[in-house]
This record gives sequence, structure tokens and C-alpha cells, in this order.
Amino acid sequence: MTELVMEREMATAIDHHNGNHDHDHSHDDHQHHNDDIDVFGFWIYIMTDCVLFATLFAAYSVLEGATFSGPTLKQLISLPYVLTETMCLLASSFTYGLVMLSIYKHKRNFALFWLTLTFFLGLSFVGLEVHEFIHLYSDGHSWHVSAALSAFFTLVGTHGTHVSIGLIWMALMICQLAKYGVTPQINKRLTYLGLFWHFLDIVWIFVFTIVYLMGAI
Amino acid sequence: MIIAIPTGVKIFNWLFTMYHGRVTMSVPMLWTIGFISTFAIGGMTGIVMSLPPVDFQLHNSVFLVAHFHNVIIGGVVFGYFAGVTYWFPKLFGFYLNEKWGRRSFWCWIVGFYVAFMPLYALGLMGMTRRLDHYPASTGWHPFLVVAAAGASIIGMGILCQCIQVYVSIKERHINRDLTGDAWKNGRTIEWSIPSPAPFYNFAVTPVVHDRDAFWEMKEKNLPNPNIQVQAHYPEIHMPHNTSAGFIIAIFSGFFGFGMVWHIYWMIAFGLIGVFATAMARTFNQKTDYYIKSDEIRKTEMERV
Repeated sequence: MTELVMEREMATAIDHHNGNHDHDHSHDDHQHHNDDIDVFGFWIYIMTDCVLFATLFAAYSVLEGATFSGPTLKQLISLPYVLTETMCLLASSFTYGLVMLSIYKHKRNFALFWLTLTFFLGLSFVGLEVHEFIHLYSDGHSWHVSAALSAFFTLVGTHGTHVSIGLIWMALMICQLAKYGVTPQINKRLTYLGLFWHFLDIVWIFVFTIVYLMGAI
Repeated sequence: MIIAIPTGVKIFNWLFTMYHGRVTMSVPMLWTIGFISTFAIGGMTGIVMSLPPVDFQLHNSVFLVAHFHNVIIGGVVFGYFAGVTYWFPKLFGFYLNEKWGRRSFWCWIVGFYVAFMPLYALGLMGMTRRLDHYPASTGWHPFLVVAAAGASIIGMGILCQCIQVYVSIKERHINRDLTGDAWKNGRTIEWSIPSPAPFYNFAVTPVVHDRDAFWEMKEKNLPNPNIQVQAHYPEIHMPHNTSAGFIIAIFSGFFGFGMVWHIYWMIAFGLIGVFATAMARTFNQKTDYYIKSDEIRKTEMERV
């Protein structure tokens, strides 16, 4: 009473994937299909982050006037300073674009160069922002003082924290790219990091506009 | 209401799963009926407590203690035991001993009611929780003696379970699940694969058209490629084993404990550990593999 079913056509009918030994091709199909869904998944994460920033912007807009009779933000910040920060971050977004172009051309060393440059531009941005925060805090304008300052530090600080995490991720990617070269997996990961980095740049445009520029009018 | 209404829906859902069925009082079924009834009663005492004037008297009394044990034991524990008994043969390839299973169920359910019903009365009489002594003049003592007896009956239930595990393992060769359809009338596809389940679970991914796919296969007399050995199997994409998730969980535990008790070094240790482990994992190039057709066929043939 053997259970062997040697030539049952129904058996192969159930097997929908690849009855015909074309394994590598089907793996690629499977892989590309996975890639689209994975990138979409990362977009969904970016959208949740967007909701987070939206709530922080809302809180800031409501509270920016609540300075507890202290100075307004206009009196505390220097626009040229903020412009320098902004240029660092914008430039880093541009250099990241060059990273991806190099990756598409499989040029590992160029990609590493632009990625390192992006990292230092991002680091400059964070450095300038931390310096600004320390300056404000030590002058007595800390987040404890008023609702407006609380909202300011939370919004700008959350953005800065995101950029810092992005920098850690970027450092990791530099290591992996150097070690493993341009592989499909590295490509995917750099795509996600790119989405993250450009998203933070866009959020910064909003911060720059709503907090610094509108505050300065 | 946030708890009661959805739970009410669930109770009816569970009851309706028996609709049009022929109910066999197997050990998992005993645990399940024990669960639905005990959990419902526990939920009702919760609703009693949800009325503010009543809660004013009952909050932090042993009425509360009885209520939450009612839902935790009746709900979580009985449900868990039902699941373990039910899927045990699929995991290990042999059944848990039925006789000791029944004995443990009856000890648990009788023991539970004997242990906790007195506590409802005591709560209404004013006994608070977390007392280390009480005067005899309260009149609480007889109730607590009964409760203690109930606890020891539960203890016997646990003893029965220990014996059950021992006997089941000892007699596993007599109690093998030979077909994979452990409870004879399985409707869902986990019962369509052998017991114990192969490490890849499904040799051939089934195509599902309807709810209760295995039942449909039986009704329409469709061939089962997970039981009948095939000439050729498509490759199966499998993950390599890894301890990364477990290690991340351990670090998360340190993080959580540190957060509760404000132990700052522990918080940092936990947090850094979580992220360092995850980052190290991304450097692992060998995270998955494919099982080839002949290896699957060999495993399937060995089983027959």
C-alpha cells in the first residue's frame, strides 16, 4: 500500500510556482516582487513619521506665542546661522542623490565618497544645531521656561534626533558598502536610507519656514 | 463597556463555532467549555465593579482579587491548556494522556470555584486584599479555610498535569498521531500535514479556495500532496535559525525593568543592547536558504 504518486498530473497542477526547474528565474521574480512591497512598506513608515511631525508642528503653532513674557524666537535666533545649517542639510540631500546615481552605475568607490561627504554635511548640520541649543539653554532660554520654548525644542529636537539616527544608519551603510560592495540588498537599504534622508530634508524645510522664517517676520 | 461589549461579541462568536457541529467532549473541549463559562462569569463580576458606588466598597477588596482570578484562570489559563492539549500532537507527534487530562481539568475547575467563590463573599463583607493577619472576630476565617482547600484542589490539578506529561512521554510510542489529522475531523490545513510537523511545515503550499480548506479537500476528495509523496517538490525558501530575536528580547527586558525602577545604567545597557544586536544582525549575509526538491522528497519518503 505505497503512497507513491509518480505520474499524477493533478500533483503538478497543485504546484503553481515552477514545475519546470527554472528556479533562478523564479527567485528573481519573487525577489523583485518583494522589493516593491518592501519599499512601499518603508513609505508607510515614513508616513507615520510624517504624522508624528504634523502633531509637533500643530503643537508648536498653537504655543509659539506663549513665551511667558519672555523674548520671542525672532529675538533669540540668527537667520544667517540657520541658513548655514539649512545649506548643509540641503547639500547633503544633493550628495545623497549622487550616491544613488553611483550605486545604479555600480561604482562602489564613488558611492562611498559621496556617502562620506553626505555624512559630514549631516554631521555639520547636527553640530550647528546642538551648538544653537546649548547657546539658548545656557542663556536661560531652556525648555523649562515657557510653552513656546518647550514646543520649539521638542519639534526641532525631534527632527535633530531623527537626523542623528540617520547618521548612525549612514555610518553602518558606509561599513557595509565598503565590505560587501554594490549588492541588491545594499541597494535596497540605501534606497530606504535615501527616502529617510530626503524626508528629513523636507521636514526641515517646513521647520525652517514655520519656526524660523515666520517667527522672524 | 469598552471591555464588555466586544467580549460579549466574542463569547457569542465562540459559542457559534459549535453551531451545526457534533460536539465531542474531548479534553480540549472540556477546557474550552470551562473557559467560556468561567470567563463569562468573571467578566460579569467585572461589570459589577464598574459601577462607581459599588466599586467604592469593592475596590481593592478580595472581591476584586476573585474577579481578576476568575478571568485570568478561567480565561487565560483554561484557554491556554485547551490550546496546548489540542495542538500537542501536531507539535510532538503523540497525544497527551487523556485520563490524566480529564482528572486535571476537573481538579482545576472545581478547585477554582472552591478557592475563589468565598472571596467574592469576603469582599462584600469588607475584607481588603494583601492582609497578613486578621482578627477572628471578623468572621472571615471559615471562608478562608474553604478557599485554602480549593487552592489545594487546584494543586492536585497541577500534580495531575505533571503526571500527565510524564505518562504521555513514557507511552508516546503507543499514542502516536499517525495520520496528521489528530482529532479525526480537522477542518483547517494544519491537520493536513504529518505529525510531528516537518521543519518546513508544508512540503507543498496548499491553494486555498474557501474557509476550512482541509474540510473542502476531504469533501471534494482532492489529493493531499503533503501526505502523498510527490515525484517533485518546488524549492522551499527557509530562514536560517537565529538567536537574534531572543537576545533582543532579553535586552528589552533589562530596558523595561530599568525604566520601571529608574535604574539608569540598566536603561542604557538595555537600549544599547537592543540596537547593537539589531545592527550586528544586518551584517549577517546568510540569513536564509532554499531546500532543494530531492531533500524534501527524501524527508517525505522517510516519513512513510
